[in-house]
Amino acid sequence: MRSFLLLLLPALLSLGVHGAGTPPPKTAIGTDQECVQCHPQQFQQWQTSAHAKKQPVAGCLACHGGLHSEAASRSRRDRTCNACHGGPEGAIVHSYASSKHGVLMRLEENTYDWTKPLAMANYRAPGCAYCHLHQGNHDAGAGVRADAMNREQPVPDGMRAVCRDCHAPRYTDRLLDNGNAGLEIGRKKVREAEMLVRQAAPGLDSGYQADVQRQLQTMRRHLQNVRLGAGHQSPDYQWWHGQPALDGDLLRIRGMIDEYRRKHP
Amino acid sequence: MSKPPRYFWIPLILSLILAPAGFWYVGWSKSGEGAGLYSRQWLPDAMFAYWSPTDFYQPVKSITGSFEGEQCVACHTAITPGIVKDWQASRHSKADKKVYCSACHGNNHQDLHMPTPEVCATCHATQHKQFSDEKRFGFPSHALAMERALDTKHFVDKPKAEVTACLQCHSVAGKCDSCHTRHRFSAAEARRPEACITCHSGPPHPDDETYFHSKHGQLYLAQGAQWDWSKPLRRGNYPAPTCAYCHMQDGKHQVADKSIWKFGIQQVNPLSSANEIKRKQWIAVCSDCHKPEMAAKHLTALDQERKRAWSKLYQAESLLKGLRSDNLLYPSAKLRPPYPGDAPDKLWPREAIGFFEGQSSAFYNVSPIERDYFDMWYFSNLGAYKGAAHGDDSYVTKGHQAMDLSLESIKKQAATLHQLGKTTPANIWLNGEYTDYNREHN
Repeated sequence: MRSFLLLLLPALLSLGVHGAGTPPPKTAIGTDQECVQCHPQQFQQWQTSAHAKKQPVAGCLACHGGLHSEAASRSRRDRTCNACHGGPEGAIVHSYASSKHGVLMRLEENTYDWTKPLAMANYRAPGCAYCHLHQGNHDAGAGVRADAMNREQPVPDGMRAVCRDCHAPRYTDRLLDNGNAGLEIGRKKVREAEMLVRQAAPGLDSGYQADVQRQLQTMRRHLQNVRLGAGHQSPDYQWWHGQPALDGDLLRIRGMIDEYRRKHP
Repeated sequence: MSKPPRYFWIPLILSLILAPAGFWYVGWSKSGEGAGLYSRQWLPDAMFAYWSPTDFYQPVKSITGSFEGEQCVACHTAITPGIVKDWQASRHSKADKKVYCSACHGNNHQDLHMPTPEVCATCHATQHKQFSDEKRFGFPSHALAMERALDTKHFVDKPKAEVTACLQCHSVAGKCDSCHTRHRFSAAEARRPEACITCHSGPPHPDDETYFHSKHGQLYLAQGAQWDWSKPLRRGNYPAPTCAYCHMQDGKHQVADKSIWKFGIQQVNPLSSANEIKRKQWIAVCSDCHKPEMAAKHLTALDQERKRAWSKLYQAESLLKGLRSDNLLYPSAKLRPPYPGDAPDKLWPREAIGFFEGQSSAFYNVSPIERDYFDMWYFSNLGAYKGAAHGDDSYVTKGHQAMDLSLESIKKQAATLHQLGKTTPANIWLNGEYTDYNREHN
């Protein structure tokens, strides 16, 4: 009798979880095509995202893994994103990890119930997916767009709404506007440097030209830090890895041009 | 009784006039639209309301009415659920007499305020008293952090959206939630090293990296998740020390009283009588786990590291000062844009070199060699100091190697400057998109 019940157990369990009429769960998923059949909405959303457009494509399995029972709860966690987005030492992840959100996440992630949807402040601190795939929208830009602060136009209302799960509207509006204004100041520094280089470069020898171009590359990376600092709310990235670093780049570019001209009057 | 001589009256009358005039002038210069000593020279960004609420916060006027605790909770559960969930998980909501939103923010919605440390002090008086007591010890200090930011030359000078991030950290002077994140205000959270790293990171104060690389930090990373963080920061409660264990022992909210080297920013005499007292305090902290001799040895090693660092820094400083007196720094202070807020700089342009001349603000509008010295002093040197203090030898090595490289490069540049003498090409320093914008906006 006991062995009969044991034999029946898996069948009973699967009925309990999936109910009658649905296909039995697959414990291991092999290809993205298998997912699309049951999750067409997510697939559609995903198709408009950068994940689908950039090569190599980041498909279902890239984030969800092959284990169906943990597919959602696992992919909601930050480590899913970190591997492709520069790793823990990279500016994208580090600017978040050193923010208050990132700090709380580090301390509390194992106490959160990761089966809950990414909405309504179900998580005390927002992880990558909470903001960037808000409400589980698989268009990884429908929530907070990673490039929103790259653009000249104002931050869309839909994006502002994500922050309002926890913060007062006036607070987040001012924070976003301030971040955009700070970023625009950073851009002014880069444009000032680019203009200097454009005007001076034809007169420089190849060694100086290479030095100036290298410094411009560094400068663009520092501008990216300001953007990440504002978006991820890391004061350190907005300031120390950002603005004063840009000041240094700008004056060094000027210095190089000056030095060449003084050597070759 | 003989008449006091005339030279007695002149200084007396002068001081009677000048002292009140001085007080009046300081009061006047603090009464502008900005804040701090130079408040008349700049206008605040709208975001400052949240980083320095005492100076700038204005309540939202669109919602009227007076509300009691449960009413606040009822509306905000729908509007901002995260805040309410946080509060519900906090001790404030679990106390016999609940501490509702209104206890800290007020009842009248048109007249709400941001809770300053003084508001928290109504219940947490001991912690607030300890926190305020920091002011006696000068910088660096949490309690003086906002004054430090507002009265800094580059803060006054730069466009305000550029320097808002400064205030985000320096807001610790006026907001307890910098460490006890709102609206849970957890003591256990603030005891963990991560609570400090949002501000204590980056090139001038890599406290996060140097601590996490140290043996103490490695133990924390390996085991910290299993420790009982509800325990006070006291001997025997934690297998390895954290930021707060050493700097805020027994939960004392005073982090400035043991500071000997003052962030490594200037050279100090570590054996002065005041510092001898601090050394004893440090040895007492370390002695919770180590032999006192070991702690004393660590402090001596730190002194030696500092001596090495300052010998390098002074070499660079004297090279720069030599160039300045030979009039060879290029572009000189006269040839570069003045700092908008700095009147003396316009009248008497002079290159600021080293801590005492205010070089901590002179990292822009300077010549490359001065900026290289700034990086050497403010980044590599301070990083090496933190490495030595927190027990991360790799950071000491890295910092000193970087200082050696900077010194070499500064020597080379000084030689070039000597070679080039006083040739001056067309000035390209005075204009540009950001430079012009900064001249008009501060």
